[in-house]
Amino acid sequence: MTAEAQQMIEHITRIMRRRGVQIDENTPLLSSGLIDSMGLLDALVKLEEVTHMRIPPGKIQPKDMDTVALMFATAQRVGKPGK
Amino acid sequence: MSGEHEMLFRALLYIVALGLGLLVLAKVRSRGVRQAGLLIASYALYLTWGAWFLAVLLASTVINFLIGRWLKRQPTPLVLWAGLAFNLLLLATFKYVPGITISIPVASLQKFSHLALPLGISFWTFQAMSYLFDLYRGEEIDPSLLEFALYMAFFPVVISGPICRMPDMLPQFRSQMPPSRDDIGRGLCRIATGLLMMQIAQLLGKGMLTGQGINAGFDQAAGWSGPDVWLLALGYGLQVFFDFAGYSHLAIGVARVLGFVVPENFARPFASTTPSIFWTRWHMSLSFWIRDYVFLPLAMLRREEWWRKLCLLLAMVLFGIWHKGTLLFVLFGCYHGVLLILHRQAQQVEQRFNWALAGKAWTFFSWLLTMAFISLGWIFFRANSLAQAGAMFSALISPAAYSSHVLHQSLYLLILGLAVSYAVVLVVINGLDRHSERLEAAAVTSRSELMATVIRDRWVWVAPMWAAACVLVMTLMPQARAANVFMYRSF
Repeated sequence: MTAEAQQMIEHITRIMRRRGVQIDENTPLLSSGLIDSMGLLDALVKLEEVTHMRIPPGKIQPKDMDTVALMFATAQRVGKPGK
Repeated sequence: MSGEHEMLFRALLYIVALGLGLLVLAKVRSRGVRQAGLLIASYALYLTWGAWFLAVLLASTVINFLIGRWLKRQPTPLVLWAGLAFNLLLLATFKYVPGITISIPVASLQKFSHLALPLGISFWTFQAMSYLFDLYRGEEIDPSLLEFALYMAFFPVVISGPICRMPDMLPQFRSQMPPSRDDIGRGLCRIATGLLMMQIAQLLGKGMLTGQGINAGFDQAAGWSGPDVWLLALGYGLQVFFDFAGYSHLAIGVARVLGFVVPENFARPFASTTPSIFWTRWHMSLSFWIRDYVFLPLAMLRREEWWRKLCLLLAMVLFGIWHKGTLLFVLFGCYHGVLLILHRQAQQVEQRFNWALAGKAWTFFSWLLTMAFISLGWIFFRANSLAQAGAMFSALISPAAYSSHVLHQSLYLLILGLAVSYAVVLVVINGLDRHSERLEAAAVTSRSELMATVIRDRWVWVAPMWAAACVLVMTLMPQARAANVFMYRSF
């Protein structure tokens, strides 16, 4: 696992609805109810911070962000270099 | 034709369409014939509501299909906005213009107040918009006109959802598999559950004694006590749930009998322990639509916390006015938006101070608080006027209003009895599901295999049980000449 992925997992663990649940890169987050849509936005801000990318609005769907692995793949696919 | 005869005719036609659809899907392998058969059945049923309604649906289908083609060639914001503007204009013309023009004293505008609302327009217009959004986002979907027309008019869901999405439906429309025995069994079970729930909703509305139901409770002039308002708020929440979740079971069940899986609309919303969880379990196909196509794209425009909260409020107002363009529905949306913002604030405080609020007592308190606030929101949804909503909220906060009750005891008994019975049914279903999982994981014995079959194929005994319960509920209901009307049909 990369250091960036580890940072994301630590951040998401802090904002999860249920405490004490272990997650990894492939744990479903929004679809399993571990985070809500506000939590997804928190995760998105963190993703932009760790990847130094800007994710354009309107180009992604929650299913593209449902796991940490998918978040990085989405950032790679649609992200633009941040300012 | 009288209202009752018309309903009976439609019900018979619906059963015939379902039977013919099942026959075509079971016997025919040609994709085009299967799709054409389903489309003809869908249009034939829709036509019974009026030729004009079908004309609007056809026009919307062709125009959205053409915009979709354009968007696929040129996925630019301009084309997307052109498509969205067309759909919003169409929806506004039929849904909001009649309500606005009726209050404008200009003769030439008054004629627009008589525009009839094409059935299910709020549902199929949202399906069309999600199709355009998905194309803009680069989804690999390439329906033919026949497939797109079927997506817009698919008869199990066209009237009141659940709101489907093209990427989920297209592979199913293209499948050449016949419906399985399991599909038919599960579908029939959902249909029986739906019919029972809709009858319970009717019973709640009418009451066990003539004129002593929730409908009469809300329609009385004034004079509610505090307990009456709580009872009506809780009861109406149950009534709208049984009605719409029942309808959703029916729609999902009919689709399943034909071998199609359409989105779920409700997932035990009354077991939610926070407002945020509630909105992932109530009218899910609409709330997820708003989350995916409105809230998230809007909230991602800026990164500040205040902007996200504003977007949350706007998304909930949209949820409210999707139902009807009245001030009460705007207030309904605002109320839930504020509840969600307050919940977000509470979450942030919890995180900042690293509080771990857990345990059964805390969960129960959180559930109770959530249910109380969710129930109060139904007053905006159901009240006949702003003044009535105001009077009901006044009764809630006035200590003097808690010394008596005006509503008949039979209504108290009915609502509380149903709430408890529903909770018991949920516990039993949970237990059966858990037991089934355990049996599947354990070593197979002939006894456990028999038990697993009884639980897994529960439709064999649940469907007749629900049908019998349905008859029982109907006998409890006072006989009235007015035909039973599904509440969400008017949205």
